[in-house]
Amino acid sequence: MLFNSIQFVIFFFIVTVTYFSVPHKYRWFLLLASSCYFYMFFVPIYILILGFTIVIDYFAGIYLERAQGRQKKWFLIASLIANIGVLAVFKYYNFFNDNLTFLLHGAGFQNPIPYLSILLPVGLSFHTFQAMSYTIEVYRGNQVAERNFGIYSLYVMFYPQLVAGPIERPQNLLHQFYEKHSFEYPQVREGFKLILWGFFKKLVIADRLAIYVNAVYNNPHSHSGITLMVATVFFAIQIYCDFSGYSDIAIGAARVMGFKLMTNFNRPYFAQNISEFWKRWHISLSTWFKDYLYISLGGNKVSVPRWYFNLFIVFLISGFWHGANWTYIIWGALNGFYLIFAIFSKKFTNNLPGISRLKKFPKLNLGLQILVTFSLSCFAWIFFRANNVTDAFFIIKKIPTFKGPLFYENPSMLIFSLFGIAFLFAVEFKKEYLPESFSFFNNKNWLVRNLSYAFLIILILLIGVFDGGQFIYFQF
Amino acid sequence: MKENFLNKIKLNPYLYFILKFSILFFIVFIFDFSIGKGLRYLYYKQQNGYQFRTTYSLEKTKADILIFGSSRANHHYDTEIFENRFKMSCYNVGRDGSGIFYHTAILKGVLKRYTPKIIILDLRRWEFVRLDLSYDRIALLLPYYKSHPEIRPIVELKSKYEKYKLLSGIYPFNSSLFSILVGNLNRNGTTEIKGYLPITGTSTAIPTQTKKEISEGTIDTTQVATYEVFIKDCIKAGVELHIFCSPYFSGNDEQDLSIEIEKKIAEKYNIQYHDYSFDPTFWNKPLLFSDNSHLNKEGAQLFTNIIIDSVEKYRGKK
Repeated sequence: MLFNSIQFVIFFFIVTVTYFSVPHKYRWFLLLASSCYFYMFFVPIYILILGFTIVIDYFAGIYLERAQGRQKKWFLIASLIANIGVLAVFKYYNFFNDNLTFLLHGAGFQNPIPYLSILLPVGLSFHTFQAMSYTIEVYRGNQVAERNFGIYSLYVMFYPQLVAGPIERPQNLLHQFYEKHSFEYPQVREGFKLILWGFFKKLVIADRLAIYVNAVYNNPHSHSGITLMVATVFFAIQIYCDFSGYSDIAIGAARVMGFKLMTNFNRPYFAQNISEFWKRWHISLSTWFKDYLYISLGGNKVSVPRWYFNLFIVFLISGFWHGANWTYIIWGALNGFYLIFAIFSKKFTNNLPGISRLKKFPKLNLGLQILVTFSLSCFAWIFFRANNVTDAFFIIKKIPTFKGPLFYENPSMLIFSLFGIAFLFAVEFKKEYLPESFSFFNNKNWLVRNLSYAFLIILILLIGVFDGGQFIYFQF
Repeated sequence: MKENFLNKIKLNPYLYFILKFSILFFIVFIFDFSIGKGLRYLYYKQQNGYQFRTTYSLEKTKADILIFGSSRANHHYDTEIFENRFKMSCYNVGRDGSGIFYHTAILKGVLKRYTPKIIILDLRRWEFVRLDLSYDRIALLLPYYKSHPEIRPIVELKSKYEKYKLLSGIYPFNSSLFSILVGNLNRNGTTEIKGYLPITGTSTAIPTQTKKEISEGTIDTTQVATYEVFIKDCIKAGVELHIFCSPYFSGNDEQDLSIEIEKKIAEKYNIQYHDYSFDPTFWNKPLLFSDNSHLNKEGAQLFTNIIIDSVEKYRGKK
C-alpha cells in the first residue's frame, strides 16, 4: 500500500481508531495483522518470504542467547546467511547471472544458468537489515531475545517503517510494543504535522520534479548539457524529498499511535562536507553500517590504509545494498572515495580558508562549503539515477558543454518545481540557522498555527502531483 | 465561561482532538471553497489557450465538421482547408496528450447540444496500449465534472475515489494555476485557426524506436470499449464518421495491434478507416514534419487535402 493513496488514508484511520479502542493486550495483534495486510497489498505471496526470515531470526535470537562460545557464533552466522541468502536470491541473483553471462560470452561460452523471473519483494532490504540488527544485538548481548513470536514479528513488520524504514534497532523499538500508549493530543498533533510535511515534500516537490527528471534521464541523448545539469540538481532534491517525505510520514504515523521511531534525515544538503552529509542522510542506514560493518571491520582503530579500506568497503556495500546494478555500486564507491579523499586532504582543506582569505568572510566560506558538498553529492547522484553506466558517463561528459536550450514541456512545470524548491529551502534554512525565530507550525497563536497547516494543505491541492508513482526507496 | 468550556474539553483528549481537527477542517474548507470558486471563474473566463479550446469544444462550438484526436489531430488537420473545400464550418477539438477517453467525453458534450455533420477521429499507433498515463490524462476533464453530468462516467474511470476527490473546489484545477493565469492575461491569442494549431519548422529528429514499454504493452479493453462507444454515439446521432491514423515521420513499421483493433471495430460498424501511418508521401520526409509524430504546417496542408479527397471519394460513392 502506498502512503500517497486514498487506501492508505482509510487504512491509517481505521487502524489508529481501532488501536486506541482495543485493550492494550490486543494491540500488538492488531498492529501485526494490519502490517500483514499493508504488506500483502503489494504482492500477497511475498509475505511468505518475510515469514521465512522471521521464523529463522526468532529462533536464532533465542538460541543465540542460550549458546556459548563458538556455538553462539554459528547461530549468528546461520541467521545472517538466511537473511543475506534471501536478499541474494531475490535481489542479486539475476544481477550476478547477468554478469556471468557477460563474462562467459566474452570467453565464447554460453551461460547454462537460467534467469529467475521474479519481482523484488518491496522493502526486502529494509526488512532484512532490521532483522539482522536484532540478531547481531542479541549476539552482542545488548538485547534480550524476544520470546513472544508475535511481538518479534511486529518488530520486523511494523507497517509505518516496513517497506522503506527508518531501519530500527531492537533497543529502540521492541520495548515500545509492550508499553501502553494512550491517546495524547500533543503527540497526535506532532504526528500529523510530520505526516502533512511528508506529504508536502512527496506530492508538491518530489513528484513534481520527477516529471522533469524522468523525461530527461530516460532519454539523455536528446537533451542539452544545461538540461542535464538542471535535471541532476532536480534529482538531488527529488530523492531527498521523496525519501525524507516517506520517513516523515512513517515517523508521523507511528507517532500518532505513540511510537517513537528514529530520525532518518537532518537537512543533509546543509552539510559542510561529505562526512557530515552522511551523518545527516539516511541516518538509520548510515548508523547501521557504522555499527554492524564499519566497527566490525576495525573502524578507524587500525592502520591508515586499512582505515581507508574499511571506509571504502562500507560505502561499496552500501551502494550495492541500494540496488543490483553497477550504477549503484559506482555511486557507493564514489562516496567512499569522497570520504577517503576528505580525510586524506583534511589538513589542506582546513587551512584553505586561511590561505584564500575566506576566513574573513565566514558566511561566504560556509556557503561555499555547502555548495561544494552539494555539488559532489549531485555528481554522485548521476550514477544513482542514470538508467545504466553508459548513460551516466554520457551525462557527465555532456553537462560541462553547457550548450543547447533548456528543456521544459510547459512553463508551469518549471515554475512549480522552482517554487517547491524555494519553499523547501526557506523552511529548512529557518530550521537550520534560525530555530528560535518566528515559527508558523509551532506558533503560540492557534490561528497562525492553523492557517499554516491549512496553507500547506491548500498548496498540496493546488500544485501537488496526485498521479505520482511510488516512493523511490520502495524498490530497495 | 469560554475558558471553562475549553478546559473541560482539554481533559478529554479525544474531544479536544476532534475540536481542533474540526477547526482546521473548517479553515481548509473555507479556503478550498473560495479559491476553488475563484479558479473556476478564471478558468471559464479564458479567451485562448488549450483550456479555453476544451471549454469551447464542449460548450460552444456549432461547427458542421469536428476533428477529434490528440496533438496529432490538433496539428495535422487544417480547418480552413476543410471549410473552403466542403463549404461547411469546421472546428478542431484535438488536444495535446488526450486519448480516447477525452475524445468520447467531448463528443458526449457536443451531441448533447447539437449534431455535427461530419466527424473526423484521428487515432495514434499504440492508442489502446495500457498505460497509467492514459488515465492520468482524464484530469483534463476534471473542471467539467460538476457542470457536465454526461462526462462523469468517463471522469470516474480515472480512479475509484475520483468523485470524492472532486468534492474539493481546488482539486479540479490542480496544477492549472499558471495556465489559467496565462489564459486570462494573454488575450492576444495564439496562432490557432478554429482549433487548428499549425507548427512551423522542419524535423531534425533522427528516426527513433518507440519506447519498449509502449510497443510491447498490453491492450487496454476499457479504452477499446470507449472507442466503440464513440462510434456507436456517432451512428446513433446520425453523424458521418471517418477514422484516420495520420502520418508518422519514421519509426517501427511493424504491425500495430491497436490499429488492427481500430480497423476491425470500424469495419464492424461500417465506418471508413484510413491508415496513413506509413504513407509513402510522408514517410521519412523531414520537410513535412516538425518531429517524429507531428506534421508541420506544409505537411498538414498536404495531408488535409489528401484526406479531404478520400472523404469526398467516399461521399461520392455513397
